[in-house]
Amino acid sequence: MVTWNTLWLFALPALVCWTVAALLSLRGGKKSLVYLLTICGLLIFGSYIAMMWISLERPPMRTMGETRLWYSFFLPLVGLITYSRWQYRWILSFSTLLSAVFLCINILKPEIHSKEMMPALQSPWFAPHVIIYMFAYATTGVATLMALWQLFRKQDQLAAIDNLTRVGLSFITIGMLFGALWAKEAWGTYWSWDPKETWAAATWLCYLIYVHLRKSRPAAVTPALVWQVICFLCLQMCWWGINYLPSAQGISVHTYGS
Amino acid sequence: MSKTWGMTKGCIVCCGLVAVGMLLQLTIGPVRWDAMASPVNIVVLIVLLFSILTMHLLRGKVHLFRWMSTLHAGIPAMVACAMLTVLMGVTRQVPTGHQPTEPFGITSMLTFWPFVLSYTWLVVLLGMVCMTRLLHPSWRNIPFLLNHLGLFIALVAGTLGNADMQDLRMVVQEGKTEWRAVDSKHHVHQLPIAIELHDFSMELHESSAAPRSFSSDVTVYTKSGTTVRDTILVNKPLSFRGWKIYQYSYDEAKGVESDISVFELVRDPWLPFVYLGIFMMLAGALSIFVGKKW
Repeated sequence: MVTWNTLWLFALPALVCWTVAALLSLRGGKKSLVYLLTICGLLIFGSYIAMMWISLERPPMRTMGETRLWYSFFLPLVGLITYSRWQYRWILSFSTLLSAVFLCINILKPEIHSKEMMPALQSPWFAPHVIIYMFAYATTGVATLMALWQLFRKQDQLAAIDNLTRVGLSFITIGMLFGALWAKEAWGTYWSWDPKETWAAATWLCYLIYVHLRKSRPAAVTPALVWQVICFLCLQMCWWGINYLPSAQGISVHTYGS
Repeated sequence: MSKTWGMTKGCIVCCGLVAVGMLLQLTIGPVRWDAMASPVNIVVLIVLLFSILTMHLLRGKVHLFRWMSTLHAGIPAMVACAMLTVLMGVTRQVPTGHQPTEPFGITSMLTFWPFVLSYTWLVVLLGMVCMTRLLHPSWRNIPFLLNHLGLFIALVAGTLGNADMQDLRMVVQEGKTEWRAVDSKHHVHQLPIAIELHDFSMELHESSAAPRSFSSDVTVYTKSGTTVRDTILVNKPLSFRGWKIYQYSYDEAKGVESDISVFELVRDPWLPFVYLGIFMMLAGALSIFVGKKW
């Protein structure tokens, strides 16, 4: 039986795989080994999520802790895609570190919760909606880390940041529209300006502004990097910030149960 | 004209719109969306499309119209909308149809003039860029049009069609037939369709008494005598004669023993256009991977 208590049994080996792969790529080691180890870690951790899904008898996406699982999974995956595409040696260290932080939160502060899911969430839209969003969060998370790195270390990575943002934005768009189609199916309205939806709209607009700003003013690098960080802060508000926002208390259908 | 001025002008226009919006808010009060009901929304749509076309045709003569389809106008408009949306996100909103709880009206953002004017400005600019690409067709424009025109269609149809949308609640007792339903303001409406509830049933989670699913076995009638018999579940509404019938609730005090079922009945004649916009945007989001280099 897979539970939160056995998380470390899977998380630890996965983290070891990812860390060794990250160190190898930092030193310019064998690429095939880097791929093999990262994929190995993904398989180990992915199997935990799969077993969790089976033992909960529902997709593990209902609580904050469960969405963090997906985030920890997608970060090394996005890191690996970025690595294969642009050969950044340091990217895997970044993604592994961030993934480790989220894993630690889940191991140290497990959120115990029941199997139940309210009827409105038992929809075929639910899994794609959350998975697509989590992938987008991981992509934009990596883009933000790269933006911060460039702001403080002055290494040019704008092309990669732009590409990651485009991928992130298109996934955010798909996640948001899936949400709208699902809401129509479940509640009869595709957009009801629930606090989560309001913040999703604001986040989406922020990323749209980034993409258009890059097109309009390609030479304005620092404003673009700063804006990238602002976009991500907005995204954090949308993901978990609204749980603590007084204006959103008790009225959002999106608040994660505990 | 210098590049910087173009963007500054965009900011000035947005500030102007917010100022005008504040004045409207303080003088004539919040935006009355219910006044948009058919046929007003059709007229507004025609005027909107016609002005966009006219401005597009005059773009050679009038600098302002040419500027409107540039990013210098678009980016400040997006920033204004984003800022007002964030403001909406940090203020507790009153439920739809209620009066704002403070004098400015920001607790009812959807009827707040600066918000409505900023989004309207964004939609007009969006229409202008779409018109430019539409009138100069090229395969290369397809991803652009899917994203921009899709958003234009979804926003316009969703907003203008909102007042035509009927969203009613109907309570039906087991064994009875009902044709009356109430709206959010508790007005009773007599509908062209009627629902007969044969049976309401509910499954529970084994571990607790929380409901796992609930459903209603119904027959729906029209005045002309057409009938359909089906089971309505959460997430599985019944479509009938332009109406969508959703399983909404039940007698929560009685739970499993409930002998009533509450349905939500929605009629939304503009929905196909909203869906068209949404599916265009979905295709547009996918085209980002296929079309361009990255």
